[in-house]
Amino acid sequence: MTTEPVAIVGWALTPMTRRTVNSEAELLFEVISGATEHAGITRADVDFSCAGSCDYVAGQAFSFVQNIDAVGAWPPKRDSHVEMDGAWALYEAWVRLQLGDIDVAIATGSGRSSTADPATVYPMEMDPYYLAPLGADVVSFAALQARILLDAGLVTERQMATVAARARGAAQGNPYAQVSGEFDVDALLEDDYVRNPLRRHDLPPITDGACAVVIARGDKARELTDHPVWITGFAHSAEPHHPGLRDLRVSASTTRAARAAGLDAAPVEVAELQTTFTHEEALLTTALGLGPEVAINPSGGPLAANPVMATGLTRVIEAARQVRDHGKQRVLAHATSGPCLQQNLVCVMEGTR
Amino acid sequence: MTTFVESTVRFPYKRSLGPVIGQFMTALTERRLLGIRAGDRVIAPPLEWDPETGEQLDPELIEVGPAGTVRSWTWVAEPSPQHPLDRPFAFALIELDGATTAMVHAVDVAEPGAMTTGMRVAPRWRAARVGHLTDIEAFVPGEEPVVPADDAGPAAEPVTMMGYEASIVYTTPLPGNQERAGKAAARGVLLGFRCPRCGRIYSGLSGSCPVDGLLLSPEDDVELPQVGVITNYTIITPVQYPGQTETEPFARVQVLLDGVDVVLAYQPVADLPNVDIHTGVRVAARWSEADGRKVLDGWAPTGEPDIDDPSLVNRIM
Repeated sequence: MTTEPVAIVGWALTPMTRRTVNSEAELLFEVISGATEHAGITRADVDFSCAGSCDYVAGQAFSFVQNIDAVGAWPPKRDSHVEMDGAWALYEAWVRLQLGDIDVAIATGSGRSSTADPATVYPMEMDPYYLAPLGADVVSFAALQARILLDAGLVTERQMATVAARARGAAQGNPYAQVSGEFDVDALLEDDYVRNPLRRHDLPPITDGACAVVIARGDKARELTDHPVWITGFAHSAEPHHPGLRDLRVSASTTRAARAAGLDAAPVEVAELQTTFTHEEALLTTALGLGPEVAINPSGGPLAANPVMATGLTRVIEAARQVRDHGKQRVLAHATSGPCLQQNLVCVMEGTR
Repeated sequence: MTTFVESTVRFPYKRSLGPVIGQFMTALTERRLLGIRAGDRVIAPPLEWDPETGEQLDPELIEVGPAGTVRSWTWVAEPSPQHPLDRPFAFALIELDGATTAMVHAVDVAEPGAMTTGMRVAPRWRAARVGHLTDIEAFVPGEEPVVPADDAGPAAEPVTMMGYEASIVYTTPLPGNQERAGKAAARGVLLGFRCPRCGRIYSGLSGSCPVDGLLLSPEDDVELPQVGVITNYTIITPVQYPGQTETEPFARVQVLLDGVDVVLAYQPVADLPNVDIHTGVRVAARWSEADGRKVLDGWAPTGEPDIDDPSLVNRIM
């Protein structure tokens, strides 16, 4: 094992859209070409690749196999796949670089949610005995957690609408966002519920898209760029699958992951959080101990674009962008998976002073 | 103009239940609800392992419920086909009496105004119970379980298996190269693609050169010869699963067309008995016609001498 640091040296995203006509492999061609170009390398320089995607979203067994074409198979590469958001693929790539024998890796996240009704796809990932047979879908789970937070007085419907309006206002500055604009909180609160207590604005859009991140080790990172974004802390943690077993007023695994990633060591200026639903922002900022001085989701976050399996990795890119393009020194990205924030990942990144 | 293809993928699962969930499902047929002790907690529905410690739990289950308290709820105004009720209903986290954890289930009330956190609910049982979570049709407000007049009674044997079928409809855009290849095949033409960088010729539906990491475009289309050699094969003895129509052992072969770099994978054969299939057989495409469209029936022997090349067998992708 090596303790040599690893840095993000390049990235790319597709535009995030309601429905793409491109295949998942085509989306990946676009972002792998873009990310390697951004890093100033070619596909031949990549030693290891790891992809995050989901067969049930794709509607095809082993869908990730044809996606490998986008990485370029020559010279032969070490490759891996996680049936998770690309943020976990990045985690695996980061761990792989710790071994010290290779220098450059690429992680991707890709998904086309437009191809099926997400409410019918999501139960496939649930416990097959107690949850899937009920068609337990992601929005229903989120609504059950939102009501617990409302009942506990930890958030209000007005605060939730404010989160949505702020996110979609911020997304006006993000060329990759799908939903953006100025929204009036009072007007939002007059809408009907989609899943009481969640209204349309509390939900993310259905999005197709992909993204890719190139990471490099130590001197290789310094050689590739004058502005490496160093990953200084990276950890993830899971809780029981069944929401009914957990205290849904808190996110214990987020707190645990943040501690393991060394978040407490110094303040962060920006946090890109996978707040797929509005009520999750209050929960996550509390779990992470973030004060009002921290800018949350300046990209607009998942409420502006939610490419399932790429939403978390996009948070890493948007946080890294804050370091590389906006001069921030220390930022964090958060990704989540599973019902009611079951599994959470925290990535702390820093610039070079 | 992109063509979209609609397909329905069915997932007809059959799962064994094990010692703990099996007991729970069996008890459902008896209109009883069970939980399991995990330290100070009572987990219902029961799990085999303690979620905190990972320790295996004592499979001595205890009765809980049947009534319980709603800890949270949401209103499903437009149910999906996979939801337990086909009219608007509530999903709720229900803490059964005697349990310290909550289960997810449906609550059948007419409108969301009938739901409150803390309300009391009890199961409405199905008349014919099979040992499945939906033996509880839904929970209803109140303390008393609802039992239909035509109750069919408990299962005769302990429940050890359960079925779960999901069905998902996908609407997928057809990649351009696949659409062009499909249209060519309807004319009896095999379309391939030549990589503009390395010159390799690909057969099948690949839209890219994986060696160069390059997407291929209509300018890279080439018409392929329809004669080649079997490089490898498999004889499949069919097991019956949903959608399987074969009843006798059948062959699938890999065909390397003349001058092409990549095999056509998993092809059917024509006029070639399973016992005669081997690496090196020269074959040609055999087409038939239906509704004015050509259909590739399979690959038939040309009668030419075999190709004697031991490395052919490695050509499987």
